[in-house]
Amino acid sequence: MSNSRILPEFELLAPKTMSEAVDMAARYGDRATVLAGGTDVIIMLEKNAVKPEYVIALGEIPDLDYITYSKADGLTIGALATAYQLVQDKKVKKKYPALWQAAASLGSPQIRNAATIVGNILRASPSGDCCCAMLALGGSVVLESTSGRREVSIDDFFIDYGKIERREDEIAVELKLPPVEDASTSAFLRMTRMTFDLSKVSAAVSLQMSGKKCKAVRMAMGAVAPTAIRIKKAETMLEGVTITEKLLSDVAATVSRQVKPIDDVRSTADYRREVSGVLAKRVIKAACNV
Amino acid sequence: MSEYSVIGQRIPKLDAREKVTGRCKYAGDMRMEGMLYGKLVRCWDYAHAEVVKIDFSEARKVPGVVKCLGPKDVTRKNYNTTIMKLLVPAVFSDVFGEIADLNIFNARVKHQGDVVCGIIAKTEKAAERAAEKVKIEYKPLPVIMTAEESKKKNAIQFTPLKPGNLAANFPDSFFPNNEYGWNAEDGKTVHQKFKDADLVVEDTFYVPRQKQVQMENHAYVALYDDRGRLNCWTSTQMPKLVQNLIGELFELPLTRVRLVQTPIGGGFGCRLGMIAEPHACAMAMAVPGIPVKIEYLREEDWVASESRASGHFYVKAGFKKDGTPVACYGDYQVLKGGYYTHGSGPPFCTAAFMHGMYKWQAMGCKADIWFNNMVPFGAYRGYGNPENTFGVEQLVDRACNKLGIDPIGWRKKWAKGIGDESWLKGVNFVSSGLDDCVKEAKKKIGWDKKKKQYANQKGVKRRGVGIGIMQHTSGAWPMLLEHSNVIMRLNEDCTVEIMASVSDLGTGAHTAVTQMAAEALGWPIDDVHLKCCDSDVNGFDIGAHASRTIYCVGRAVMQTAADLKKQLLERAAQNLQLKLEDVEFAEDKEIVCTWDSSKRINCRTIAEQSIYSFDDPATGKTIGIPGQMVAHYSDFVKHCSPPFAACCAEVEVDIETGEVKVLCLSNAHDIGKAIHPPSVEGQLEGGAHQGLGYILSEDIYYDDKGLCLNNDFTDYKMFGASDMPAENYVTLVESAPDDIGPFGAKSCGESALMGPIGSVANAIYDAIGIQITDAPVTPERVLAAIKKNGGVK
Repeated sequence: MSNSRILPEFELLAPKTMSEAVDMAARYGDRATVLAGGTDVIIMLEKNAVKPEYVIALGEIPDLDYITYSKADGLTIGALATAYQLVQDKKVKKKYPALWQAAASLGSPQIRNAATIVGNILRASPSGDCCCAMLALGGSVVLESTSGRREVSIDDFFIDYGKIERREDEIAVELKLPPVEDASTSAFLRMTRMTFDLSKVSAAVSLQMSGKKCKAVRMAMGAVAPTAIRIKKAETMLEGVTITEKLLSDVAATVSRQVKPIDDVRSTADYRREVSGVLAKRVIKAACNV
Repeated sequence: MSEYSVIGQRIPKLDAREKVTGRCKYAGDMRMEGMLYGKLVRCWDYAHAEVVKIDFSEARKVPGVVKCLGPKDVTRKNYNTTIMKLLVPAVFSDVFGEIADLNIFNARVKHQGDVVCGIIAKTEKAAERAAEKVKIEYKPLPVIMTAEESKKKNAIQFTPLKPGNLAANFPDSFFPNNEYGWNAEDGKTVHQKFKDADLVVEDTFYVPRQKQVQMENHAYVALYDDRGRLNCWTSTQMPKLVQNLIGELFELPLTRVRLVQTPIGGGFGCRLGMIAEPHACAMAMAVPGIPVKIEYLREEDWVASESRASGHFYVKAGFKKDGTPVACYGDYQVLKGGYYTHGSGPPFCTAAFMHGMYKWQAMGCKADIWFNNMVPFGAYRGYGNPENTFGVEQLVDRACNKLGIDPIGWRKKWAKGIGDESWLKGVNFVSSGLDDCVKEAKKKIGWDKKKKQYANQKGVKRRGVGIGIMQHTSGAWPMLLEHSNVIMRLNEDCTVEIMASVSDLGTGAHTAVTQMAAEALGWPIDDVHLKCCDSDVNGFDIGAHASRTIYCVGRAVMQTAADLKKQLLERAAQNLQLKLEDVEFAEDKEIVCTWDSSKRINCRTIAEQSIYSFDDPATGKTIGIPGQMVAHYSDFVKHCSPPFAACCAEVEVDIETGEVKVLCLSNAHDIGKAIHPPSVEGQLEGGAHQGLGYILSEDIYYDDKGLCLNNDFTDYKMFGASDMPAENYVTLVESAPDDIGPFGAKSCGESALMGPIGSVANAIYDAIGIQITDAPVTPERVLAAIKKNGGVK
């Protein structure tokens, strides 16, 4: 039985530098859990969903909460940057609206004050709002270990339910999102039971438009498969053509066929399948502002 | 100018400061010297199992463990959590089939979270750790979740006391044909009467298992002290009745049981009767002289304290072409959960509130209550009325729609009113503010304008407006005993200590009772103080349930104040050597002679002399009249003044996703007289919050093993502040003061929960032309219904 007041016993490690942190990750491997904002890890500890001997808390490593943007490198989000920080960032709001909207709807104001964007990606929940948004925007996760850094494309990052492309000796240090062109646009939409809630279906899209014509597109859905997923069939339908109502309803039908949702306490597979298409259609409209 | 100076005033609640600062000490905040911690070891993995073996050997090794208690270490007496049997004549208790089927530690688990044994340790953490190390061997038993499974001939039996797993129904000896209702004037039964109807509408409604989710988890401290007294600190709603039950369970006279009511962090019926008081007391008795604290986790609270009843409610209603209500019949198949507890109580009230609402020519309702492996249902705000409202209000609108009749006009014409029989036979309405409630609710939502505006809608988002009305109760008489005691003791400075066991669940009851006492005495509110919450001090009171507190305790307060005032007049007359009829109260506690205002005495003088009584050294005569003044009234209210309410709702339905958004709610309540208006408004807003949850989002879900899938806030979804309608109007209708209620007041504790249920259901019907028969009305259900219907209207 879980205990909502008393945490299980573990040793709390508080590295002062990233190199200390990766040393610890190397030493303890799967015996350790990494904690950034803690909004997921603490709950999992309480519920005995993870039983680490060590918790590596990144909080004391300085200067990890950066959010930077440049035309050349795009957006970089440090491991300790919170959802609140991202929501406050005007550049993100303007250039990466899908990610901004996902971060803005994450949890509740209290959760957003503590939760990190990187943490939301690493949790890799199928309903993780930033996972869905980032999958649509593209980009990579930067992982560090004692043997150096490597970048994993977001397209390869989510492997299966709760499984990600991160080795036990690695710590995620930042997210990189590609620079956006002027004609780029994106949006994120989700359906929940209540305002402060986990998504039961979410959708994100990023588009490069030329007038009403779609030059390039990435589309992702959340909570309809073991991980957030891209809907490549829908992307193919959209790419290089003019977006019309007819096309959107065809895309909606395709999306509904492509997703593989389940029944759970939050919704049903049938419902999720049905509204996936609706949400896909609406998120494209929202991105195109029509 | 109001005729009143204290009641009706918007003063801050007396407990506002301690609540806002967080300094209020709930049971969970209590710390005592040497206090130990108790942990109840529950069965989490099975909903139905026999306990084969309990092995404490590893648990005992945990540092800090003081005692491990199994079934043999505590009383094995069976009990029932409820107070029902105390409140009805013994013969009724037998007729209704009350049973005691629960133990402190149970050898057979009948629902997930059932208590098997317990740990006492020096710290909460040690108790937790040891509880995890108790090895319990179970023999799993077949899990029964539905009524159909429960009633099967070969189904496993829950208790030999209830053959066939029928926990309760409406006994034939009391309810002919197991139904509660009335025959038509022409002698026809409700079943026969449907033949006279031009239109019959019927449906089966699923009504959900809503959880109270009061903010304060259950917590207790108990101490079996050195004088052999069993003390229990608890936030129960019913301290005096729980004191009685604890005395009975542990075979102690009431002189040896002290119940102290700690501040209540929300009740909503959840703390009606006993929860873990027996466990806390049993643990305390195992370690005499040392206090033991038990504090539930939210997850425990969810699976192990009583919920609202759920099940399938079939309703059938017959009408004449002109709308005349001919017959209404209900059949409620209810899921009891693992234990008897409230038995037929809430389902009977479903029938009763059906009884109290409309002027059917004939009406009848039955209920069968089947044991199953869910958490037992008990009391939850509304007590049976939400089920009635969800079914009947929707069928009324369906019939009105088919007959082309205005649903508001129909309700105004056919709702019961003054002189008609209320929810209980023999109790007639003496006041009704329903027409004004309808008028106000309708006006504030802009009914006529919106109705026109939404007549021909196209597009994805469809709006609609709907109405629901209701009647409830003020106290439970004559179904149950109503008895309150108030003692007023006059202090030497002419202030009054009121001693009454008044439960304030956050309802403002302490404030309102204090206001009524001050008003009745005619003195400022600072001159009265309410001492409650300690069974050593307070006389008998039922406690808080059935929306009774202001209505019942208020009446007792008025009677006691009248007695104290009479005593003061008597002393004044004696002092002034006048006749009683020659003196009267004047300003500032003066009592004056009616025909010579120079003859006067102040109550302060009378009060002071009553206590500091001396003989005049010059004359040798006693100054004033000695003896502290105490007034007492023991009140048995023989009525229940049901209040009415009308609620209008405006919703927007997304027909592609099935999502329902409540845009506006307008609830007008027939309060009679609002004693503390901010508290009444708070009740109406809070009731709406839970009513909206009932109709739109709340239900406890179980997997096929009977294990709860949503015993936390992540997946049990209540409305949050940001989910409430942007426009939420509450109107206190005071145009129909009640002749029996104190100062004309009727209740408001439970009733606001019902209006949103009927009105939102009907607004959805108005928006899309489809009625949803299963609550909560989730987007999944709405979309499925739209598909089944082949689209919207």
